[in-house]
Amino acid sequence: MSRSASLYSRGFFIGAFTRAARQIVLVILFLAFCLANYTGAAAAQAPTYKRGMKFVTDETGRRMAIPFSVQHVVTLAPDLTETVYALGLGDKLVGDTSFCDTPPAAKLKPHVGSPQTPNLEAIVAMHPDLVLATTSINRAETADALLRLGIPVFTSDPHTVRGMLDSIARMADLIGAHEQGTALVAQLQSRLDAVHARIAELPLVHALFVVWEDPLITIGQNTFIADALRWAGAESVIVANQNWPQVSMEEVVRLQPDYILFTANHSESNKDHELNRLRAQPAWKALRAIQMGRVVRVDDEITKPSPGLVGAIEQIAHELHPEVFSSDGRGEGFEHRTGVRMEFSANIRQERECDFCGL
Amino acid sequence: MRPLTPQRILGTCLGLCGVLFAVAVISLRMGAYPISVRDIVSTLFEAAAGRREEVPVEFWQVVFGLRLPRIALGILVGASLSTAGAGFQALLRNPLADPYVLGVSSGAALGAIVSLIVAPHTVGAIQIAAFIGAASTIAAVYFLGRRGGQLDSPTLLLAGIVAASFLSAIIMFLLTMVTGSELRSIAFWLMGDLTAPPPTTNVLGWLGFLFFVFILAAGAMYTTSSDLNLILTGEQEAKHLGVNVNRVKFVVYIAASVLTGLAVSVSGAIGYVGLLVPHVMRMLFGTDYRMLIPTAAIGGAIAIVLADTLARTVVAPTELPVGAMTALAGAPVFIYLMRRRMR
Repeated sequence: MSRSASLYSRGFFIGAFTRAARQIVLVILFLAFCLANYTGAAAAQAPTYKRGMKFVTDETGRRMAIPFSVQHVVTLAPDLTETVYALGLGDKLVGDTSFCDTPPAAKLKPHVGSPQTPNLEAIVAMHPDLVLATTSINRAETADALLRLGIPVFTSDPHTVRGMLDSIARMADLIGAHEQGTALVAQLQSRLDAVHARIAELPLVHALFVVWEDPLITIGQNTFIADALRWAGAESVIVANQNWPQVSMEEVVRLQPDYILFTANHSESNKDHELNRLRAQPAWKALRAIQMGRVVRVDDEITKPSPGLVGAIEQIAHELHPEVFSSDGRGEGFEHRTGVRMEFSANIRQERECDFCGL
Repeated sequence: MRPLTPQRILGTCLGLCGVLFAVAVISLRMGAYPISVRDIVSTLFEAAAGRREEVPVEFWQVVFGLRLPRIALGILVGASLSTAGAGFQALLRNPLADPYVLGVSSGAALGAIVSLIVAPHTVGAIQIAAFIGAASTIAAVYFLGRRGGQLDSPTLLLAGIVAASFLSAIIMFLLTMVTGSELRSIAFWLMGDLTAPPPTTNVLGWLGFLFFVFILAAGAMYTTSSDLNLILTGEQEAKHLGVNVNRVKFVVYIAASVLTGLAVSVSGAIGYVGLLVPHVMRMLFGTDYRMLIPTAAIGGAIAIVLADTLARTVVAPTELPVGAMTALAGAPVFIYLMRRRMR
């Protein structure tokens, strides 16, 4: 390429460039037209939006208008789906996520995608009066984007078992099921109180809750799982502000937890199998809890802030403190019940992603 | 080889614009909510006739609230990344250079993470903090990359890589302080995400502002295109031919960095587009920067809109991150074109 050629074209190219710029301006004007229509649409829909609405602030501080009479609900997390069914409002549920498998009827509802990457268009097409989300698995961006479209999204943010009960009551009120909400919360609270009454005098058991085995990930003290363990008479040996801290095996060996707790979805099919597998590994073998066979497979319900969490608390309390529960027949019956339930959930959990990190 | 005339460049660009328009229309049609082209056209007529109430609300929400802003953002991000890639490849005289090579994305990611720790529930905080992070990295790398008062390509490249790894180390440290839900946002942001809502409710103004910055930066780079052709043959040779090499480098560095910062702050780090598209355009239309810059811009827009359409349809109703899609679809196309050229 010679210099003269480039000089010749430079002047020419400024001309070509301004012409290209004109084209781009036209494209921008077209987009401007489309988006002006869009903002117009939002304004046009505003008046109808105010009638029969109440203003609500959700647990993350977002304000929104929700109709007094909610008929169509979309849930964005398995625990929320479970809560809606536990309130007896399954027929108001028009859509849930592809992770929602409890109760089995939830699997038959139209899905909007995974909790982290739901398809916003699919949600819009379901005409929801209310979308339920939770900070424990959903992304803030999803709620923000739906609120922008004028779809109310109530995000719950439970960090404790009591917080979970409050969230249930709040969501029941929003859907117009105040009585069912009160009844469900009272029933769950009485079960918690029954557990508490038996173990209140006992010292807390030091436990290691295994979220993920390799790398070893456990729970932080601000998670609802840590709180659920406290209700069941146990305490995590690891004290961390992070929600899902990665800890070194050395630290665990130094702390020597009394019990090791595994969830059903991250472990082998039965407890003996699991124990043998861990005993074969040098790092785990050094733990007294493993040598003594103090391993508990916890119902998967522990991973979700939903009504099923109370069942998991009962199960852990039974396993960690058998001495105070053995006096009546309830313990045995309960074991049987959770056993069946665990097998059921363990099967469907196989195709699932991790509940904790959400990735 | 045919001489490069303005007419030929305009013709090529208009042809590519046609492809982009077709891809945008297809993208507008595809998705979980079914929409036909006829629906869109008739809706536009209804709206123009003032009968907007007859159009279903969710149609407006899907088309004007979700798909159109997303396509517009995709066009902007794709064009910015690809133009920036072409610019960095000339500036560093390195075919492996991409928009992120000088650490801009790490700076933006650091800004985003800091915003998630400081103000976790603020809409738009990520974008604004990411832009501040990107801008500070651009300035820092610029001052580190000078030698004897002038931008020196190898020094600049080293400065960028050092800055990127230093910032990544800080990011790894900060990530241990972030709790679950924020970690999720940042993971998606790092993979590239076009779904995040804009920081203001004035979507039109926001997009207009972004396009204005894009036109300024890409236009500035275009004014240096014939000089870039000469610089690519060698800096000494270009100097002898009367090119102000330092000025050209400065303009290209600032323009490409601003484009990268812009794209990264609104969409996170979308990989491969900035590397692959300029090379594909070179293979198709030649290596002349007067042709390359505009075709790379439009080609990048096509690539992102196409990738985003696939990302939200292949595993519907779930969505894939667009960054994964660009790599998945981009690599085979690139290999095919490379093999064909070698034959």
